[in-house]
Amino acid sequence: MSQDHDHEHADSQLQSQTDTTSADNQEEATYVSTLPGPLGMIDVAIAKLESLLLATGVLLMALNTIANVVGRYVFRESLFFSEELNRILIIVITFAGISYAARQGRHIRMSAIYDALPAKMRKVLMVVIVLFTAVFMFGLAWYSLQYMMTQAGRGRVLPALQIPVWTTLLIVPLGFFMTGLQYLLTAIKNLMEKDVYLSTVVLEGYTDDEMEV
Amino acid sequence: MAVTIFSIMIVLLLLGFPMMIPLITGAFVGFFSLFGGMSQLETMVQQMMAGIRPASLIAVPMFIFAADIMTRGQSAARLIDMVMSFVGHVRGGLAISTAAACTMFGAVSGSTQATVVAIGSPLRPRMLKAGYGDSFILALIVNSSDIAFLIPPSIGMIIYGVVSGTSIAELFIAGIGPGLLILCLFAAYAWVYATRNKVPTEPKASWAERMRAVRNALWPLGFPLIIIGGIYGGIFSPTEAAAACVLYALILEVIVFRELDLKGVYNTAKSTGLITGVVFILVAAGAAFSWVISFAQIPQAVLAGVGIDQMGPIGVLFVISIAFFIGCMFVDPIVVILVLVPIFAPVVDAVGLDPVLVGTIITLQVAIGSATPPFGCDIFTAIAVFKRPYAAVVKGTPPFIVILLCVSVMLIFFPQIALFLRDLAFAD
Amino acid sequence: ATWRYAFEEAIDEVQGVFAQKFKEEVEANSDHTIQLFPYGTLGESADIMEQAQSGILQFVDQSPGFTGSLIPEAQVFFVPYLLPQDTETLATFFKESEAINEMFPELYAEQGLELLTMFPEGEVAITTKEPFESPDGLNEVKVRTMTNPLLVESYRAFGATPTPLPWGEVYGALQTNIIQGQENPMFFVESTKMYEVTDYVTMIGHNNFTTAVMANKDFYDGLSEEEQQVIGNAIDAAFEHIIEYQDGLHEESIEKIKEAKPSMTFTTLSEEERAPFKEAAQAVEQEFLEMTGEGGQEILDQMKKDLEEAESGTSG
Ligand code: NA
Ligand code: NA
Repeated sequence: MSQDHDHEHADSQLQSQTDTTSADNQEEATYVSTLPGPLGMIDVAIAKLESLLLATGVLLMALNTIANVVGRYVFRESLFFSEELNRILIIVITFAGISYAARQGRHIRMSAIYDALPAKMRKVLMVVIVLFTAVFMFGLAWYSLQYMMTQAGRGRVLPALQIPVWTTLLIVPLGFFMTGLQYLLTAIKNLMEKDVYLSTVVLEGYTDDEMEV
Repeated sequence: MAVTIFSIMIVLLLLGFPMMIPLITGAFVGFFSLFGGMSQLETMVQQMMAGIRPASLIAVPMFIFAADIMTRGQSAARLIDMVMSFVGHVRGGLAISTAAACTMFGAVSGSTQATVVAIGSPLRPRMLKAGYGDSFILALIVNSSDIAFLIPPSIGMIIYGVVSGTSIAELFIAGIGPGLLILCLFAAYAWVYATRNKVPTEPKASWAERMRAVRNALWPLGFPLIIIGGIYGGIFSPTEAAAACVLYALILEVIVFRELDLKGVYNTAKSTGLITGVVFILVAAGAAFSWVISFAQIPQAVLAGVGIDQMGPIGVLFVISIAFFIGCMFVDPIVVILVLVPIFAPVVDAVGLDPVLVGTIITLQVAIGSATPPFGCDIFTAIAVFKRPYAAVVKGTPPFIVILLCVSVMLIFFPQIALFLRDLAFAD
Repeated sequence: ATWRYAFEEAIDEVQGVFAQKFKEEVEANSDHTIQLFPYGTLGESADIMEQAQSGILQFVDQSPGFTGSLIPEAQVFFVPYLLPQDTETLATFFKESEAINEMFPELYAEQGLELLTMFPEGEVAITTKEPFESPDGLNEVKVRTMTNPLLVESYRAFGATPTPLPWGEVYGALQTNIIQGQENPMFFVESTKMYEVTDYVTMIGHNNFTTAVMANKDFYDGLSEEEQQVIGNAIDAAFEHIIEYQDGLHEESIEKIKEAKPSMTFTTLSEEERAPFKEAAQAVEQEFLEMTGEGGQEILDQMKKDLEEAESGTSG
């Protein structure tokens, strides 16, 4: 089956979860939104920003950790902020990642029973699932915003970097909100189109046993 | 409350909701009923953030990154070619090597999730090509990685040691026997599987071919050197070794083999970030759920009804095993150890059980629980990295779980499996 | 009602023993019950602190060093050679100090916390792989510290290479020689098996680990006078108990370590040997003042005054 995709057609035959290696061909292609007009442009811009955060986050984490080792052996001085910086990067990666993964239909689910249902029921269930998920994501966006503001009010700082803890949490409500938005859009997409969608660009339909090398 | 929460979680899970939703819903229902409404949901967010806070988690994205670079480039293939030149002609040889590599890597790196990725991603395509079934491969990788819990250094044993006041050095040594026993049984099962499914063997390689393969793998042999030499040689912590592997992989594939350009590196980093996000949101949601269980003192309530006070040592060991096994199926193992060990401490003391034996048995249950459905971090990692559906990852698991449970029972009746080496090393 | 009390250590370590005594007293003298949550069961130190602030927990035990990210002045407990080592003087100081009983409660109140008491947990010992008697002996020795600027500054001043490392990695890092030392009170060295991976314990007398017990302020203010009295009495009883309990705990821990590892060497530096460490510590005091400004200066001055009084009180 082809991994090339053609987003011009709304029903492009994208398959999630059929790759055989961890190499990720799907994400490498430039993301093309299926949303119309300016909405699509915003969507693409956000996708770009998320992938930038993911890639630089991972690269910075490697750099930071290696620099700490070099510092310890060459300059006999550990980077005192190394651990805190990695903690911040983990937050950035996780919350940029959940939104990006929602867009790519990559969140883990157990689909054995779902897959056995007839197409019509799958469609209904999928709309219920993505709406329910969107509600929870929006809820978490709200409560993480509250949590962030509480932190700001208390004035807690990171001991080594001496920066306010709340600033390290900025991406949390954003990430939840963007994830919720992706699921909401997926619900709309499912209501508008004939096929069943895992995300706005990914059709459902991976199989359990087919596996080509 | 506990029954309601677990039922809701299982139903959502089976219906095909994204895995984070059953966990988040479980935590949400818990917070809602504990505090009579939405007033304390900020603490739910706090605990989600706490879940992804441990610095040792950094090893996961770092090893994912390194393994992905190695697999896209040539390093992984060259290393595997070398191993195959030695074991390719043995029935089940590749599977047995994979199990051994997972155990070793997991033992050293201290992260079973990192192991699933680092060993699994290069070896899985090769095993598929060799004719093994995918479910067998996935189960082999996940379960062999979890043997690492038993082999030092083991974070589970360190935490047990601290909470129970048991010598960590003795625990470390006691874990080796059962760990190796499980590896042998997995190897035996792999051999049976290969024989029954007629997985073809390769013709035996000549020594000249083997030498050529070793020469080809000289550069990539730096990876085991960095990981094993670096960690046991006191240069790196496991997390730092992971980052060093990233650097080394980049040097090999970008400069030496010229297999990857900067765009490729960027895309690999992005895909690493994606997988990390998918797995860590589950770690985060799991932490919030664990908090509810711990705060509501559910384990205490359940265990109060068991009547453990009237049992003998064997009975106590069985109750402990079952409690930890079930606990680790749903909740993060570290939290399970922190919550349950103090509850059992008085009765362990009363019946005169060796705390080192108890610690070994508990660590084994932690290992089993992490590989057992429905919730297990290593299962999630395998799904995210290999892009395989949940059912495919879990389908091949039962024979491995049976082996692990057999070893649990054997440990209860023949404690010497664990204590033999300890007694040898700490004999007065 | 059911009140919840979380602390940073295991149930049988010092904070746990204090909490158990407090629970026993409150339950004996009122209809309330107390649930105890030891280390890690509800999260790390910062988590339980926040849970106490938001009222999920009624009581919390957090060491002021950790509170430093919330209340900078609390880091005064990381200034080396400030607190005396003599148990009796210390107990008097904690009971009578104006800084502790009047100034700190105000700072904690700003964070929604009622400071109930502070108490010492024992002299901080340094465990290393090689012996040392002077800052020179610590040259190139990597000592694990918490991620705290003052601790890092202290060990830099002592001549070592401070290496911030998460607690979970310390045992392994000592075993593989990534680091060669760490610091903790003696009971903690014993209970966390740090002696298995180091060979020398040295007391340079630079600090005495201090911790604080707090209540959520809204909860506390909402209690009847009677109930506040019950809590106050229970805190007093637990304080006496913990001082008594710790009398000899240091030595008892040493005995336990010696039994488990006879080759372990214990050294207490003499006043003379301590002099260069004390001198180096001046820089850390300066760093503290720079970080905390006027508020820090006030606390530090008052503490020094209180300490003088406590010392003259016990000696005279
Ligand atoms: Na291990
Ligand atoms: Na599990």
